[in-house]
Amino acid sequence: MPVQKFRSIEEMNKAPLPESRGSDFERFLRHCARWWAITPKYYPRGVFKFRTIEDAQKAREKHLPLK
Amino acid sequence: MRVLRAFESARLEYVLIGAAAMGFHGLVRATEDLDLFIRATSENIEKLRSALREAYEGDPNINEISAADLLGEYPAVRYVPPTGDLYFDVMTRLGEVTSFETIDAEVKEVDGTRIRVATPAALYRMKKGTVRSQDHVDAAALRERFSLRDEG
Repeated sequence: MPVQKFRSIEEMNKAPLPESRGSDFERFLRHCARWWAITPKYYPRGVFKFRTIEDAQKAREKHLPLK
Repeated sequence: MRVLRAFESARLEYVLIGAAAMGFHGLVRATEDLDLFIRATSENIEKLRSALREAYEGDPNINEISAADLLGEYPAVRYVPPTGDLYFDVMTRLGEVTSFETIDAEVKEVDGTRIRVATPAALYRMKKGTVRSQDHVDAAALRERFSLRDEG
């Protein structure tokens, strides 16, 4: 079913997703690859140490997409 | 996949958590990191270093990943490899509730590589109590997809 038509956004959101190729993990890898291509970010390379998981999460939020 | 294969050949004891684990369960969202919960022993940390060296051609930065840190003051270590497209958050402790010995995990196989992945219920337990908004979204998605209930 290559084309589906909906009368509203709600109807579209309720529709089952078309079956995709490959396993869920392959779909995940493809999705990430597309996302990295659209919003590339620069992370300094290397090893960084954190005393808590929360500190690690905060550090991640400092990195903005490359312009 | 290359690095997951290296983890298997090094016999690293780990459980994949976070967005990549959700991907294995059909809840696909983009992420920039692989979250690894590893058994906290010196031997296992050496296996991690060895697997990363194999996957990233001996990147000298890997020498900075140490058992002294991961078993001591720094239970969370981030490694950003030279390729820069995907980084690793390696954790040896996950708060009071989750331990490596008791975390619910299942083995998934991709292209012949076995990967230990946290179950939807384990991911839900980890994500529901944090302060991070993305975790709340993930927890809600897990709860809905797998009809999970909060334990009394």
